[in-house]
Amino acid sequence: MAGSEGFVEADNTEAIIIRIEQKSRKIESLLRQFKPVEALKMALEGSPPKTKDERCKSANWIVVHRAIMAIKDVDGLFVSLDPEYYDILMKYLYRGLSTGDRPTCDQCLRIHEKLTEKAGLGCILRSLADTVNTV
Amino acid sequence: MLVGRFQIMASIAAHKFAQCITCHAWSPDQTMVAFCPNNNEVHIYRLVEDKWEKVHVLQKHDQIISGIDWSARSNKIVTVSHDRNSYVWNQEEAEWVPTLVILRLNRAALCVQWSPKENKFAVGSGAKTVCICYYEQENNWWVSKLIRKRHNSSVTSVAWHPNNILLATTSTDGKCRVFSTFIKGVDSRDSGTSLASDMKFGEQIVQLDLCFSWAFGVKWSPSGNTLAYVGHNSMIYFVDDVGPSPSAQDVAFRDLPLRDVLFVSERMVIGVGFDCHPMVFTADERGIWCFSRFLDERKRAPSSSKYGSQFSEAFGKLYGQSKQGVRNDAIDPTKPGGGVHENCITCIVPLRKAGDGTVTRFSTSGLDGKVVIWDLESRADLSL
Repeated sequence: MAGSEGFVEADNTEAIIIRIEQKSRKIESLLRQFKPVEALKMALEGSPPKTKDERCKSANWIVVHRAIMAIKDVDGLFVSLDPEYYDILMKYLYRGLSTGDRPTCDQCLRIHEKLTEKAGLGCILRSLADTVNTV
Repeated sequence: MLVGRFQIMASIAAHKFAQCITCHAWSPDQTMVAFCPNNNEVHIYRLVEDKWEKVHVLQKHDQIISGIDWSARSNKIVTVSHDRNSYVWNQEEAEWVPTLVILRLNRAALCVQWSPKENKFAVGSGAKTVCICYYEQENNWWVSKLIRKRHNSSVTSVAWHPNNILLATTSTDGKCRVFSTFIKGVDSRDSGTSLASDMKFGEQIVQLDLCFSWAFGVKWSPSGNTLAYVGHNSMIYFVDDVGPSPSAQDVAFRDLPLRDVLFVSERMVIGVGFDCHPMVFTADERGIWCFSRFLDERKRAPSSSKYGSQFSEAFGKLYGQSKQGVRNDAIDPTKPGGGVHENCITCIVPLRKAGDGTVTRFSTSGLDGKVVIWDLESRADLSL
């Protein structure tokens, strides 16, 4: 029984990875059309916080990271980014900050400042307090 | 602004009793307040000609008192403490006489509440257990019955259903649970609803797994139809149809997490916590809950942030449609913003219940050592 469940999980993982790959191609195309906010939205959509598989999480982080780094106009980002993305974006910003990579941290901090203004401390609490649905 | 429809209240009285207050409770006639000034004592003050006078000090516990409840009809005070014990205090002439209740805990007791009929009280503890205590006439003794092996972590709050049988608990394992506390010889079979009276003692009716963080502060609505509790992730949860198929909503808000909640009516909840400003949550005619406003006039909810409720599918519209900027001072934690409380509010207690179960006044206390009384100015607005 446990074995078959493990198989379903693995099957699921492959499906998620394939979906992320497809997403990645669409995001590249959006970035070429200078639509970084659309690209970020697409990257955040269908994020796999519920799966425990690190490979899925890493694959999606690479895609989100690509979109985050392409954001030039942070104020402009929040004009068109809907509030439903705030919580998941905050989680990815903390993942970015945890990398320690200088350009990534710089970019994440700039977005973090604006996002905190927009979404409040509650948004930070929701991303930090939730140790189950990590990104 | 949302003001207008909910033209309510301001605080009508605030008094700083101590450096810090862990919990407080009112006497049945509400002329006296009992609180723990963050030590092993309970201080009882009476309001005499607009001045608070200390009338009693209850000394028996060895460590910090974490919970106090004062029964409205039988005039008994129950206290629980980190020393793992509980005392029931009876007033005999001028003195308060304690009776030890042996809870059989190996960790601190954290919270206590009298049942609606006042024939039982429930204690939540750090030992992952809930004690249901009742009085045995023949032995002149309070007996503690334990609900074990249900919680995976400390029990932070307990709340009695109006039927005197069902008990809701929150825990630092993030879950809210509802138990039957039916005790033979104490409760009669017809006293509860059909749902409750079939259940044996300690049977779990439902486990709500909505929060992925610590859960605190649980309460039932006056009718017992709705349950509200809060998470340490700046969310509040509302549960209807508690039973085999409950329906749940969660509401995210933009400020620091809550610690305790209180239903003032079926459709209005006050939440208090780390933000220092009590928050008002209301349900519309479809039963959809949302953040409405701050109780404190001086902290305005940013007009843009109408927080919607979210049904459990997650990733719904968390924040409504706002896209406008927000004033910076609303999120600056270093500025209390001129509110009545200056630190985390840990406790909210109803005062004077109206006939229909609607609460018109209540009091809050917290780490700033103040007890603040709030009044609902307009009853008409409350009925929504």
